[in-house]
Amino acid sequence: MNASALVSELRALVGERGVVVDPDALMTYNADGCVMDTHAPDVVVLPTTTEQIVAVVKLAAKHGIPLLARGAGTGLSGGATPVRGGIVLVTSRMEKVLEIDRRNNRARVQPGIINFELTAILKAQGYHFAADPSSQKACTVGGNIANNSGGPHCIKYGITGSHVLGVQMVLADGSIFWTNDGTPELPGYDLTGITVGSEGTFCVMTECWIKILPLPEATRVVMALFTDILPAAETVSQVIAGGFLPAALEVMDGGALKAVNDAYKMGIPPEADAALIIEVDGVEDGLDDLLAEIIAIAKEKGAIEVRPAKTPEEQVKVWAARKNAFGAMGRLAPTYHLVDTVVPRTKLPAIMRDVKRIAKETGLSIVNVFHAGDGNLHPIVLFDRTNADQSERAHRAVEEVMRLSLEYGGVISGEHGIGIEKQEFMSQLFTEADLAAMAAVHRALDPDDLFNPGKMFPRKFEANDLASERRRVAEAGAGLPALMAKHGDKLWV
Amino acid sequence: MSDALISSLSAALGAEHCVAGDGDLSFRGTRPDAVVSPGTTEETADVLRLAAAAGAVVVPWGGGTRQRMGGPLSPAGRPVLALRTTRLNRVLDYTPEDMTISVGAGATMAKFAAAIVPNGQMFPVDVALPGRSTVGGALATAADGPRRLGYGTFRDLFLGVTVVEAGGSIAKAGGMTVKNVSGYDMMKLHLGGLGSLGVIVSANFKLLPTPRAAATIACHFDALPGILAMLDALHASKLVPAACELISAEGGEGFGLCLLTDGLPQAVERHKRDVPKIATQTGARDSQILEGEEHAALWARINDLPQAADLAPDELVFRAACLPSEMVATVGNVLAVAKANGATVTFSARALNGVGYFRLRGEPATLGRAWKSLAETMPAASLVSLGAGSPEAAPSPWGRMPGGLDVMRRLKREFDPANVLNPGRFLV
Ligand SMILES: Cc1cc2nc3c(=O)[nH]c(=O)nc-3n(C[C@H](O)[C@H](O)[C@H](O)COP(=O)(O)OP(=O)(O)OC[C@H]3O[C@@H](n4cnc5c(N)ncnc54)[C@H](O)[C@@H]3O)c2cc1C
Repeated sequence: MNASALVSELRALVGERGVVVDPDALMTYNADGCVMDTHAPDVVVLPTTTEQIVAVVKLAAKHGIPLLARGAGTGLSGGATPVRGGIVLVTSRMEKVLEIDRRNNRARVQPGIINFELTAILKAQGYHFAADPSSQKACTVGGNIANNSGGPHCIKYGITGSHVLGVQMVLADGSIFWTNDGTPELPGYDLTGITVGSEGTFCVMTECWIKILPLPEATRVVMALFTDILPAAETVSQVIAGGFLPAALEVMDGGALKAVNDAYKMGIPPEADAALIIEVDGVEDGLDDLLAEIIAIAKEKGAIEVRPAKTPEEQVKVWAARKNAFGAMGRLAPTYHLVDTVVPRTKLPAIMRDVKRIAKETGLSIVNVFHAGDGNLHPIVLFDRTNADQSERAHRAVEEVMRLSLEYGGVISGEHGIGIEKQEFMSQLFTEADLAAMAAVHRALDPDDLFNPGKMFPRKFEANDLASERRRVAEAGAGLPALMAKHGDKLWV
Repeated sequence: MSDALISSLSAALGAEHCVAGDGDLSFRGTRPDAVVSPGTTEETADVLRLAAAAGAVVVPWGGGTRQRMGGPLSPAGRPVLALRTTRLNRVLDYTPEDMTISVGAGATMAKFAAAIVPNGQMFPVDVALPGRSTVGGALATAADGPRRLGYGTFRDLFLGVTVVEAGGSIAKAGGMTVKNVSGYDMMKLHLGGLGSLGVIVSANFKLLPTPRAAATIACHFDALPGILAMLDALHASKLVPAACELISAEGGEGFGLCLLTDGLPQAVERHKRDVPKIATQTGARDSQILEGEEHAALWARINDLPQAADLAPDELVFRAACLPSEMVATVGNVLAVAKANGATVTFSARALNGVGYFRLRGEPATLGRAWKSLAETMPAASLVSLGAGSPEAAPSPWGRMPGGLDVMRRLKREFDPANVLNPGRFLV
């Protein structure tokens, strides 16, 4: 199909304003927050209804044009980068809350709603959506689900996946169905569960039932300052091992503290080189005692100052500082690479020590802002990408952090996903058989590789080829032709 | 069953772990031709490989407590191997301070608990018959427990898995960290998959600290409307019970609403103060605080109520799920249908979650009728177990079908093209 025919068909489906073809405008969609690779789409569509999405998917499928669903493009692994061009379908005009059902702790939303806006709407009703990535002011719920995003409160409330009850999904054949509506465990495979975290590689989500939770009766937030990051990490390990169940345990190192100190006038003393944010919540009763115990651990580990944020306003300020710390990195260096990885929680102090060493060895600044309570670290390597030598050293630093993380029993991504950034690391964590099982899921759902192709699996594999080979071996091993000859359709009841 | 298959299985596992024609196990009438007990992941892969080559079907078998779940096995004339996971029962990896664990699928839930309890840790999914139910079986049937209200289900705590697929390929997913988005979340497909996509050989879980205090507030109601009012009031409050179970009163008339509160001692005290007040306001006949052994005994009984292993001949157990707000109406519906069919009911329902387990007893013919009418009218229901005298020819054990059946069929065929694993038992 030639480009202009495609564009006019799309215009007929979603209207003039819903189609972007201007080359400059298309550049906006050539990557997400990960700029390892860029590739402009051929055309961008911004549908306003589920029916339009179905029609666009059918059109793309008919002509074999790759289709990538995009939320806000804040992803950090290249998930929303259209590496093979084609159509980028942006959900930003599908941003409504369709239903809030408090008694059943659920809400039905369109995928393009901004996490923060949803949070504000729910808050007015005394509720919250527990998934709150630091990017919540910009990112969409659809993106959160597709990436199974994390955030500061995972330690108590779990990742996004624990808060998704069902999704309405469109497959490449244009079929559309709901996986669930909040009824616990329907019979059959958990298609909601497999879709969460699938990074848009086999469907487009058009609506979602999410779990909403009543706001806790009481919340306490405290910031403990340390002269070094290690005691902060050790405090985290000890709090976890001590059987507390805090709502958040977040660490910022000196570099991050400096970046936010000015912006938020936090008056952080110069000798402070790390901060640990501790939040506990629940019923009012006993909360202060719990917090006191945690503070005692922090002090024992050498906290030089402990700052309680008593009022909701003070708490909002502490959280704003934490959540915007990463955005402030732009001021420290022209380019940064955030490495998202997780280690078993007792390994946190050790890997933080390694990160320090790596910074020294590569002569680059590495700043840390991370979800310490989950063992999820985010060393941010600062460099100048126009400088070849710095780029090479940054690359080495990233590889070394990943290597060590795996050595400590960690995994390759805690919350940002694989996309293109971590594709090649998949083979370090998984065998070909492991990957083939994932490829089998891909082939069952997206047999023609229409959605977001070229992602997640190492580049040397086309997911569906891997699955086909796997199936060929399985069929041969089971002597399938002979079985079919003998039993016919009776094999399947 | 071919002697060649038996002898190659014996050679792979050792003769003592490969028993032909064992009379003990049966799946709703079908007896396996052989029972094999691999001791390692690799041996499990050998079994699946040999089974595939010989055209045999494989039924993964843990503690055997939920083998009556799902449809009847339909091997289509092929030999049937029961694959016992009993020997895959070790704790494989456990650093207590990480609060994660990896256990073999054949470990019983009790053995799993015994490994972590001494370290002040718990796994809050209270599966029925923990001394007999295995980790693998509980996962494959997506068992849940009353404390899902406070702590979630396997779905929230299942971090990693190793499975052996049809044909013998060994595939793992996830890992030993509490957060992980490295590739597809394959755990979700095996959870509740009834062993239809692969044999689970080991699983990794997130653990939680044992709460410092716990107690029960047991409220007694004469009728369902009061319970609905109490549930609404609890839902609107800021209280955070870990479980809220609606049960048929033992021996007597009426219903019990049992709340489990745990966590900080002060928080438990708060629930002990506030819950009875709400109960009184909503018309409870009385409420009682249970602690210590009484508390533990009550929950052990509630946890076991859905058990599907030891049934009277005239008994049928099913699970009904609905939106939480519909739970009381669902219970009312089951009671009415049972009564109309002359059956008696005992039940335990996760009242603020929308899941209930019901045990019906009555004439086989009327039981069959009752189940059919319930399965057709309830949002979601599935048979968990049937007593020996119950209607084998019951209609579909799955109740109403979910969306996405086509996709499920494609998944099954992709993973198990010759339908070797538990053929006929899962809904696709
Ligand atoms: C400053 C900053 C802080 C961040 N902090 C966190 C954090 O704390 N925790 C965390 O986990 N992440 C964090 N992120 C990463 C990112 O914000 C999250 O991954 C977020 O969920 C992505 O949402 P999005 O709407 O921007 O999705 P996009 O980037 O647009 O897309 C992400 C993926 O979702 C797919 N997708 C989007 N919508 C759909 C749909 N409707 N159907 C199917 N697939 C779809 C895309 O194809 C793509 O693969 C941060 C990013 C930034 C820039």
